[in-house]
Amino acid sequence: MILTGVLLAVFGLGLVGWFAARGRARLLYKGRGSMHSMPAYHGWHMALWILVPALIAWGVWSAIMPGLVEGALFADPVVATLPTDPMTLGSIVAEAHDLASDPSATAFNPQAQALVEPIRAAQFRFGLIGGLLILIVAFAGGAYGFTRIRPDFRARTQVERAVLALLLAASLMAILTTFGIVGSLVFEAGMFFKDVSPIAFLTGTHWSPASTSGANISDNFGAVPLFWGTIYIGAIIAMVVAIPLGLMSAIYLTQYAAPAARKWLKPMLEILAGIPTVVYGYFAALTVAPLIRDFAASIGMQNPSTESALAAGLVMGVMIIPFVSSMADDALAAVPRAMSDGSLALGSTRSETIKRVLLPAALPGIVAGVMLAISRAIGETMIVVMAAGAAARLSANPFDTMTTVTYQIVQMLTGDQEFNSPKTLSAFALGLVLFIVTLILNIVALRVVKRFREAYE
Amino acid sequence: MSNLDWSSPEARRRLAKRHAAERRFKAVGLGAIVLSLAFLALLLVIMLKNGVAGLDWSFLSGSDSTDATVAGVWGATKGSLLTMAVTLLLSFPMGVLAAIYLEEFAPRKRWIEWIEVSINNLAAVPSIIFGLLGLAVFINTLGMPRSSPLVGGLTLALMTMPVIVISGRNAIKAVPPSIREAAYGVGASKVQTTFHHVLPLALPGILTGTIIGMARALGETAPLLMIGMRAFVATPPDSLNAPSSVLPMQIFLWSDEIDKGFVQNTSAAIIVLLVFLLAMNGIAIYLRNKFEVRW
Repeated sequence: MILTGVLLAVFGLGLVGWFAARGRARLLYKGRGSMHSMPAYHGWHMALWILVPALIAWGVWSAIMPGLVEGALFADPVVATLPTDPMTLGSIVAEAHDLASDPSATAFNPQAQALVEPIRAAQFRFGLIGGLLILIVAFAGGAYGFTRIRPDFRARTQVERAVLALLLAASLMAILTTFGIVGSLVFEAGMFFKDVSPIAFLTGTHWSPASTSGANISDNFGAVPLFWGTIYIGAIIAMVVAIPLGLMSAIYLTQYAAPAARKWLKPMLEILAGIPTVVYGYFAALTVAPLIRDFAASIGMQNPSTESALAAGLVMGVMIIPFVSSMADDALAAVPRAMSDGSLALGSTRSETIKRVLLPAALPGIVAGVMLAISRAIGETMIVVMAAGAAARLSANPFDTMTTVTYQIVQMLTGDQEFNSPKTLSAFALGLVLFIVTLILNIVALRVVKRFREAYE
Repeated sequence: MSNLDWSSPEARRRLAKRHAAERRFKAVGLGAIVLSLAFLALLLVIMLKNGVAGLDWSFLSGSDSTDATVAGVWGATKGSLLTMAVTLLLSFPMGVLAAIYLEEFAPRKRWIEWIEVSINNLAAVPSIIFGLLGLAVFINTLGMPRSSPLVGGLTLALMTMPVIVISGRNAIKAVPPSIREAAYGVGASKVQTTFHHVLPLALPGILTGTIIGMARALGETAPLLMIGMRAFVATPPDSLNAPSSVLPMQIFLWSDEIDKGFVQNTSAAIIVLLVFLLAMNGIAIYLRNKFEVRW
């Protein structure tokens, strides 16, 4: 409570400091060239000297204050009357903390009520001490900043150095995120692989994480059916839909369509990419899946299920069309005009030029685009969650229900989960596999695209 | 090859065949586009047909309920707005600052390349992986409240930031060097040049990219599923820490209901979501057309 107020006060001080320093610098101004930096930069310099040390102090105090409060609490005679069992004690203290911050909360344990007052007192005392310390730091920083306002002081250089540090910190966020992803996936997957052997996970064909039976727990975590389902839906069925449609759309748009038609058709095609995947999933489950079930029944399948690999793959393919189309578009545009002009001048028709000259020349770019499309399709979640089903099976029948890596990740982490059970942790192992595979696909594809561009430049 | 007779019947037949192939090829190309757009039209028509009857004031102002007739989307919409606010407040400044650094200030060094590579890869990482990151870091390690707009917004911000960085870099790159040189010429420092001249000129492009990134985040479901935003929430969230739902999650939850009445609700919620996305993309296109300068 107090600390939030102190934070506001620090920002207020910063504002006051900004105006004070600017005003002081203005008084020092004695005509052109008399000062190194403009008055506003002196203002910023002062504000930074108030804010940065005070915010650091605030952060440090916020981090250590809970420990201090706890220490004061356990020194209180009331605690001696409580049970010494750490579990019970911990829950009572946690409850008392809730009560102290929110008086309307109800306590399950009457003993917590007795702790509320000591906690409040300790929080007040340490909040006050911390608040004073932070304000002292802010004033000290401000005073130092203020004494430095002189005509020849290079305030702008200092402020710009701080700006650069801020810019660098923002860029490092990207690396931090990457490390965060790799770190958390590897850490949690490592816990999983303590129980389940990695080889059994990557080569086993039996996936039933819910069952606890069986002598060896590794036998229940064979992920090959999931990998197969992912590849079958994302890399085969979806691509059978997306590659011809996307490629032909790109060819039509770049080679045949009049500029006016292209201007309208391309954004319309792009709407397909902007529709949320949950909408596709619902469409697949509501409309496409029943159609496919009826079709399967009409060609003599026994008890076809509503959830099928074909329904999910088809809809996913449609979702990927604009992606494939725009990648192919780029690849075709990168082919030098002289190549197709030469072919046309020799008398070949447009379609012959496209098939014999343009497509072979653009092939590396198109293949890279397809790789990126596959990496997108296998990471797609909502469509398979809503339309593909949960049964892990190795089957080549598109009317079968199949499951994918992403579906299982969702399955393992939603609903009732026990923490750190192999079942929950398997989601992170699957996530790690997914991350590695998409990463490889992306890196290879970007390399190919880069080399392909350079070849024609 | 020397004595080709172009008027011989055989040559004519060949030519006719080739021209027919040409027409077929063109028709296949047009057919591919028409088929894709037909699918889009079918999707929209089915959603409209199922959902438009459910769009009334009580639906737009209500919250989730077990009764399909009184369930509404305001609770989820408010959750979406709060989540998007967190996402925007974090990812926009960070993305723009990172783009400025990488484009204008970064030294050509090995570790800068790492930043670039990791941004390009993050933009292509499946969204569900960001959900796993959010679960492991924000919830399990930092102990933030599950299912809250705060954690949802943080997770989506990590996902959106690379998109903003990439579009921001392209927009900054498009500002011609003459602008910078003119500013240096009258004595501006590098930081002044960037913030007073380059950034304002690049801003429309950056905003377009930001809106598109935000639209993607608004429609995202999978990462939020990971951080537990699938709770049944009957009252609109009143703080960033309160359990909440978001629009796509509401669609997902309703699509699982057995009660037939929820089919209408689901489709109506999809219409609401698509209207939001359409509006955002419309603004992005408007910005691009209005402010884009061809140098």
